[in-house]
Amino acid sequence: MTMLHWIGDTFRGQLLLVPLPAVRWLFIGLLLALMAWVVQLPSSETTPSGRHSAWYEDLKIWAWLALMFQVFVYSVF
Amino acid sequence: MTHLTSVDYLVILSYLAATLAIGLWVGSYVRSGSDFFLAGRALPWWAVGMSLVATDIGGADLVGVGGDSYRYGIVMGNFAWIGCVPAMLVAAFVFIPHLWRCNVTTIPEYLERRFSVQLRASVAAVWLVLMACNLGVMLLASAQFMSELAKWDMSLSIVGVAILVGIYTWSGGLGAVVYTDVLQGIVMIGGCLMIVVIGICDLGGVESFIDKVHAAVHARARQAPAPAPTMIDEPSSVTRAKEKLRLTKTKEREREHLSLVLPVDTKSPGPWPAILFGLALVMSPGYWIGNQRIVQRSLGAKSEYEAKAAYVYGALLKGLIPFLVVVPGLIALVKYPDLAADQAGGALPMLVGRLLPEGLRGLFVAAFLAALMSSVSSYLIAATTIYVNDFYRRFYRPHADEGQMLLIGRWTTAGFVLWSVCVAFQMMSFGQSIYSVFQTLMSFVVGPTLAVLLAGMLSSRTSSEGALVGFFAGLFTSVSLFTMNLLSVRTWLDMPPLFRIDAPYLYYSIWAFLATICMTIVFSYFSRPDPAEKTRYSLWEWREEGGAA
Repeated sequence: MTMLHWIGDTFRGQLLLVPLPAVRWLFIGLLLALMAWVVQLPSSETTPSGRHSAWYEDLKIWAWLALMFQVFVYSVF
Repeated sequence: MTHLTSVDYLVILSYLAATLAIGLWVGSYVRSGSDFFLAGRALPWWAVGMSLVATDIGGADLVGVGGDSYRYGIVMGNFAWIGCVPAMLVAAFVFIPHLWRCNVTTIPEYLERRFSVQLRASVAAVWLVLMACNLGVMLLASAQFMSELAKWDMSLSIVGVAILVGIYTWSGGLGAVVYTDVLQGIVMIGGCLMIVVIGICDLGGVESFIDKVHAAVHARARQAPAPAPTMIDEPSSVTRAKEKLRLTKTKEREREHLSLVLPVDTKSPGPWPAILFGLALVMSPGYWIGNQRIVQRSLGAKSEYEAKAAYVYGALLKGLIPFLVVVPGLIALVKYPDLAADQAGGALPMLVGRLLPEGLRGLFVAAFLAALMSSVSSYLIAATTIYVNDFYRRFYRPHADEGQMLLIGRWTTAGFVLWSVCVAFQMMSFGQSIYSVFQTLMSFVVGPTLAVLLAGMLSSRTSSEGALVGFFAGLFTSVSLFTMNLLSVRTWLDMPPLFRIDAPYLYYSIWAFLATICMTIVFSYFSRPDPAEKTRYSLWEWREEGGAA
């Protein structure tokens, strides 16, 4: 056993204590936090600059959709 | 897989002819070095987005993920879901627009603007060596898989794929690679979708498929070895406890096969800390933000908005990919439940050979070829771009004009094609394990590259010296961990393995990333801050200045 083994085993021991349902919520929470971040992005960052844009050109909608699908997947599986 | 018929070959030849035609057509518009390396910064979002996805799915992944999902279950879906989508979206709105606005051609070029020429040359050299070797490995892997799938001669496959990819990359550069990727992406998605639809219909529809998967997983979990019998008579309470433990283990294994979130002590390559910290927080951002073969496409987008849109579109597509590459593995599990662990890699070829009729088999082989060619071409254009921009132009001909850049770009492409064929033939004696070794080697560089990129973009206090020391410290960490975990070294040192999973490359990336960050912070603290003309390339100062270069 080296010091590296000791470090690894310590981390491993701590991570083993985390219950899997909590981990699942961690995954989903990460995705939800990203969804919240996407929603608050200013429109200037998510639409074409210098011209009027249609609703479907707002990238926020599609990014949100991609994340919502992820939340669904990690909730089910 | 059974032999292909003339109808299958007709389908494959049509695909190859279409690929070549697109590549040569794009090549007819290439007039300068900028056209060659960044497609004249005129690429539309839909082409870049599809190209990102096609590049990401290698041919080996197509077969490998199918086999791994047969063996380990849907956990392999993590590599396209949480292992791609969050990083792609953060890259889309934060990092890619910044790189696009900085008007750079390569990631090392950005590192020189923000830090120093030493860091640029170091990062470029490490990536170039790995990419050049990987080119040969990809060609060899293509030939090995084509030999398994369709009994093609390996030498002929190596030379054939190299010449075909070489011709269209030589002709059209990045534009040809991206537009052929669009065709390759469509063929790849179509080919995999076909297997999924035909496979599920063959099993009696979606509901029947789900029931049969549960039954197959249950049967497989029960096959695990029972506890060894004891020599003495046990009390009935001990026997009951053992039986209860066995049932619990069976249920756990069954649950693991159909779950994305696996415990720390799983035997699969996806325990949750590796997936969350290694894949989602290091490897994936490193791949989508710091890997030249991926980022170069978005640097060629026609506007900042199109570069962002490409990544968002790619993220949407990536959400669907696991259904196309993981589900075939589950279909194979239902149809051929008795494959041994070392035969799982053959699950998808077996499915294709037995399930698909004449003609459609050719379409699947075309899809497979598409995935292989898209990987090879992405390495080819990225290696060429790094060599020409970060070495030839930077150190040898700083005043080379656009015509000279185009010429040297094309000849470098030809040189790399020749090199990759030689490497592939040289490596034929190493066997298939060389592919996974090189994939692991690539993973060493991702963590340190991401760490110095983030440190440079997010903090103006990070110094050039700090980043350089940090980069090498990260490389040293990952190489040391890999070496110490080798069986021969462990036997020699008489110590247990450092990691308890079979392929711990996600863990290497975490530690390499952390080592780079720590050393960068420490050395930046003790060294002089960079001058304003360097720190202006950090994200916040750039925004405050309004992006004036």
